[in-house]
Amino acid sequence: MSKFNRRQFLHTSAGFAGSVAVFSAFGQPAFAQDTAVRHFWWGNPERDKRTFAVIDIYNGKTPGVKVSGETLGFADYFTKLTTQIAGGNMPDVIQQGYGVLFEYIANGAVVPLDDFVGKSLDISKMDQSAIDAGTVDGKFYALSIGANSHMAVFNTRLFEEAGIKVGETFDPYAYTYDELKEFAAAIKEATGVAGTDDNTADYQNFSDFTVQKGANLYNEDGSYGPTQDIVEEYWSTWAAIRDAGGTPPGPESAALAGVSELSQLGVVTGKSAMSYLWSNQLVGVQGLMQDALGAAVYPNTPEMIPGSVIQPSQFVCLTRDSKNPEAATAYMSAFVNDLEMTTVLGLERGIPSNSDVRAALEPNLSAAEKVSVEFFDRIQGKTAPLTAPPPSGSAEVEQTFERLAVSVLLGERSIPEVATDFLNQAKAILARA
Amino acid sequence: MWCAGPGAYWDTRMHKFLRRNFAGYAFLLPWLIGFFLLAIGPILASLYLSFTKYNVVRPPQWIGLDNYAYMFQMDQRFWKALQVTFQFVVISVPLKLIFALGVAMALDKGIRAIGWYRALFYLPSILGGSIAVAILWRQLFNYDGVINSVLRLFGGDGPYWLSDPRYSLWTLIVLAIWQFGSPMLIFLAGLRAIPQELYEAAEIDAAGPVRKFFAITVPLLAPVIFFNLVLQMIEAFKSFSGAFIISGGTGAPLDSLLFFTVYLYNEAFAFLRMGYASALAWVLLLIIALFTAIAFWTSKYWVHYENERG
Repeated sequence: MSKFNRRQFLHTSAGFAGSVAVFSAFGQPAFAQDTAVRHFWWGNPERDKRTFAVIDIYNGKTPGVKVSGETLGFADYFTKLTTQIAGGNMPDVIQQGYGVLFEYIANGAVVPLDDFVGKSLDISKMDQSAIDAGTVDGKFYALSIGANSHMAVFNTRLFEEAGIKVGETFDPYAYTYDELKEFAAAIKEATGVAGTDDNTADYQNFSDFTVQKGANLYNEDGSYGPTQDIVEEYWSTWAAIRDAGGTPPGPESAALAGVSELSQLGVVTGKSAMSYLWSNQLVGVQGLMQDALGAAVYPNTPEMIPGSVIQPSQFVCLTRDSKNPEAATAYMSAFVNDLEMTTVLGLERGIPSNSDVRAALEPNLSAAEKVSVEFFDRIQGKTAPLTAPPPSGSAEVEQTFERLAVSVLLGERSIPEVATDFLNQAKAILARA
Repeated sequence: MWCAGPGAYWDTRMHKFLRRNFAGYAFLLPWLIGFFLLAIGPILASLYLSFTKYNVVRPPQWIGLDNYAYMFQMDQRFWKALQVTFQFVVISVPLKLIFALGVAMALDKGIRAIGWYRALFYLPSILGGSIAVAILWRQLFNYDGVINSVLRLFGGDGPYWLSDPRYSLWTLIVLAIWQFGSPMLIFLAGLRAIPQELYEAAEIDAAGPVRKFFAITVPLLAPVIFFNLVLQMIEAFKSFSGAFIISGGTGAPLDSLLFFTVYLYNEAFAFLRMGYASALAWVLLLIIALFTAIAFWTSKYWVHYENERG
């Protein structure tokens, strides 16, 4: 014991103080007198890095307020949020997507922002379309933090190696599934890498295809839109691309059904030259790979009816559990208006809805962000109208689609048979929800 | 004092009881504290919730036996989950016990540095339930994973272990068998308790190893086998993390990894049917209780304890 001298004591206490500092950096309120604001989002490494940096900037500028960040992958985000709702300890500020937001509003978990507008919350520079998208029954609930659309990304090196000239032999803003079949097979031939991911089990692509065929995912009355013909044609279309050698083998794609991690996309793993995502994800995906990515729309049918929509990719919302709504909404306001903060956030969550922010970002865009902006300019006016948010039960329909599509990928059952099965199950799920 | 009589009576009763069972209850205490402080509330709440429709955001709504009726009459995935779980239990538990007994007998031969081997073989059991091992397993059995690479060295072409429903469950059965450590340790202790004279006597009577195994080892080890069987069976019914990670949380491919617990988790947290998920949890509890009871009932016919005479 006598060996424990003063020097060592100082060492240990310094280490202790250091670890206290580390802990507070991880988001616990450091001082009792600070107003604490918790911000929770789903993310990826790139987004998390940027968001934590923005929180540091805000805390530096705003004495007396301590914002702390919490993040999870998309798959776990809503699970955690659900348990927090049950426990009555939701963070002050949460991230929401266009699909699920309305369920949370209907249930009262997310509260209106009208009382704060013009005071702690400034929306004077917001695009009207973004404000409208966050308004339900005349009340403003959700602050858009970026718009996005469906996007296909391709590995420009592999396309070049296969002799495909973007803009000449391949028009990224208008190409058919038949063309995709041909150049995907050509890429496989030339480079050994499959030309495209197989979207047989990809619900996002299926919803796009449904709109291209003139239907909607959900009808006005909430019933399911796609018909037997549409489901069969969708799976047959991808089966043709697969049979032509344009995709990885069926069982390999089956293993990825329902997987949402960006790191598992074909362009990232090197298994294919083309993957499909939301346009804001381009920045995150480019951060995971060396080869430069190009952007394209989703493939289409020869009729060229637009199937993708432009929609707010994400919102920030105030929860009913927030104890400091003034401070929370002031932070939300800075998140979309403060030029120093929005410069750090960039386009990672989508194209910002504030015109000043867009203008300020313009000169300093990264290569991937430039691709993203150009894509957005090119698709303006060529997209489908925004539809009503999906009814409850839609998440389960989606999972059922992904599950049954696997038997198509494995060739276990005929496409018409699986399509019938899927539509019956979808009907039953919607009836039960 | 009118209450002195019964009070003194209870005092002596209590005293005797404590003196006899104190050590046992002392060992149970941490578990009892956890059970009464942490577990019993949620357990009872889940019983109530199993008779409600509850999506967390809105308050629970009493619907009587509807959840149970739907489960047995309408829900195809419920039956699928039962089938997958039974398949897993029926195949993995006996194989795991046989493997554990085999290793225990090999280690019982008085090998040098036995403590080292014991620790080594026990390691997978400590790691086995963890997420990291499940992720490792996914990498091993991937199409481009270690297993198939080794097969390719020998000119074989391995299948898609994880995405082909014919093989996916087997990868988890292998994972379960690999975690043979804790039954092995218990078997080893049991083997040590068998008197060596019995084997010596049998050898004099010219009994071979097979005869000795079935005539001495198995009957004398029966209580230990029974104990391991019950424990491993319950554990197998509750198995979750491996199937959850390898199937990406959904029971994929084609519900071949839809363990009961995975289905329950999905109903609760993916689709927010907490009431229905609670009903599923109670059905699982009853199933486990039933099979444990069956095991205890059959044990009368094959398990004999040494201190039972006659």
